[in-house]
Amino acid sequence: MLRKARRKLIHEKAKHYCKEYRQTYRTEIRMARKASNFCVPVEPKLAFVIRIRVLNGVSLKVRKVLQLLRLQQIFSGTFVKLNKASVNMLRSVEPYIAWGYPNLKFVKELIYKRGYSKINKKRIALTDNALIAVSFRKYGIICMEDLIHEIYTTGKRFKEANNFLWPFKLSSPRGGMKKKTTHFVEGGDAGNREDQIYRLI
Amino acid sequence: MQETSVDSRVGEDPQEKEMSIHSSIFTWKIPCTEEPDTVNFVHINLHKNNKQPYAVSELADRQTSAESWGTGRAVALIPRVRGHRIEEVPELPLVVEDKAEGYSKTKEAALLLKKLKAWNDIKNVYTSQRMRASKGKMRNCLHIQHREPCVIYNEDNGIIKAFRNIPGTTMLNLDELYGTWCKAASLKSNYNLPMYKMLNTDLSRILKSPETQRALQAPCKTIHRRVLKKNPLKNPRIMLKLNPYAKTMCGNTILRQAKNHKIHMDKAAAALEAKSDEKGIPGKKPVVGNKEKKAVGDKKLKKPVVGKKAAGTKKPAAEKKPTEKKPTSEEKKAAA
Repeated sequence: MLRKARRKLIHEKAKHYCKEYRQTYRTEIRMARKASNFCVPVEPKLAFVIRIRVLNGVSLKVRKVLQLLRLQQIFSGTFVKLNKASVNMLRSVEPYIAWGYPNLKFVKELIYKRGYSKINKKRIALTDNALIAVSFRKYGIICMEDLIHEIYTTGKRFKEANNFLWPFKLSSPRGGMKKKTTHFVEGGDAGNREDQIYRLI
Repeated sequence: MQETSVDSRVGEDPQEKEMSIHSSIFTWKIPCTEEPDTVNFVHINLHKNNKQPYAVSELADRQTSAESWGTGRAVALIPRVRGHRIEEVPELPLVVEDKAEGYSKTKEAALLLKKLKAWNDIKNVYTSQRMRASKGKMRNCLHIQHREPCVIYNEDNGIIKAFRNIPGTTMLNLDELYGTWCKAASLKSNYNLPMYKMLNTDLSRILKSPETQRALQAPCKTIHRRVLKKNPLKNPRIMLKLNPYAKTMCGNTILRQAKNHKIHMDKAAAALEAKSDEKGIPGKKPVVGNKEKKAVGDKKLKKPVVGKKAAGTKKPAAEKKPTEKKPTSEEKKAAA
């Protein structure tokens, strides 16, 4: 009975989020259309960062930052909330990472497909909402959809939610990378590639 | 402790102390604490203190007091053993029952030794009685003889008197030898009985005691097994498990796609007709209009539809603007 109630709740929540995403999206477009002169798009709040270089021969400072970002392995990825501090961090390790602004599909697919949680210091697959509920019940995050919502909209509990997620272990990019050693801007792979990040997953 | 058999053992008394004698060892059963280490320790040390037998004994290797003979004897400087032979004594250390402490007559003591086959050693002592070969004679050390059995006793109920006249024997009191919990050993300097690691060694009793049980957690009997992770994006059941709304979402998209497709088809048909009506004028406008609408619908799909939609959306997607990135679900098209 309780389980049923929970399921229903999750159902409602997911539906609500669905609507919410749609609404925010449409609102943005509508605003853009209304605005007579300029339309400045919203600064992205979420970034997904992937490490594209191996462990050896990395300078100490860079190593530390990568450690803080939990990017200890090549092609491991994490979500990062964007603020002045973190942007500067990303800038300092620019040659070692590729990052960009993930869209909803991206976030969802990542968490569903490659989502693992850190429970009790162990890397445990997100196979059940119960795993999430146990850790986050007090924050009101009880299912995958909640988690995705928290990450995507960088909510109040982004830090906990993000930390709960074990850094994503991605496979090497299909079709290869352009050129690891140079910046995206220069035709390479490193650094901020904004919307194009999805291509790397 | 090593298997020492006690002569005329009275029941399995776990508390024994052993007394060691050089060649033969008498062990007395004395109420004492069971501590195999102590027993072992006693045994080893006593043997170390005195001359060690090199005959067949379980503890022969530990009992050696091997000393190098030094230089000047045309032999290598290897430590060599000088010691007793044990021939007939049944066992070392020899544990003898407590009654022996009550012997007050030398005759009794001698008889005991004879029974334990240690008398030969005593005879040895007699034969070895001689005068000292050095100036010690002038310094009040005239006679010398071998040392023989060392008898260790707990309570002197006369045993000292019984054994003291037997040449070569040394009597040692346990309490003096090892001390008690209250006082240090008097025969050894700066030695106290070792403290116990555990006072109560009955482990099962300790574990079952109410004090321990009260402090325990409830036993955790559930076994958590590793669950195989299946990809929700590919596996609809798992998807539903994680997100029950996914089903309706999917259903919605399929419905809408079907609807939109139909609309699209209708419009295309209408456009084609219009085109054929107007001779030569390419009915671009309506078509373009269509396309625009479609494009908008396209973009609307920010809402990621998982896995299932892929199949459904391919068709309409291909007809409109191909965008790999954003799967086309035009629910919103209808809404708009």
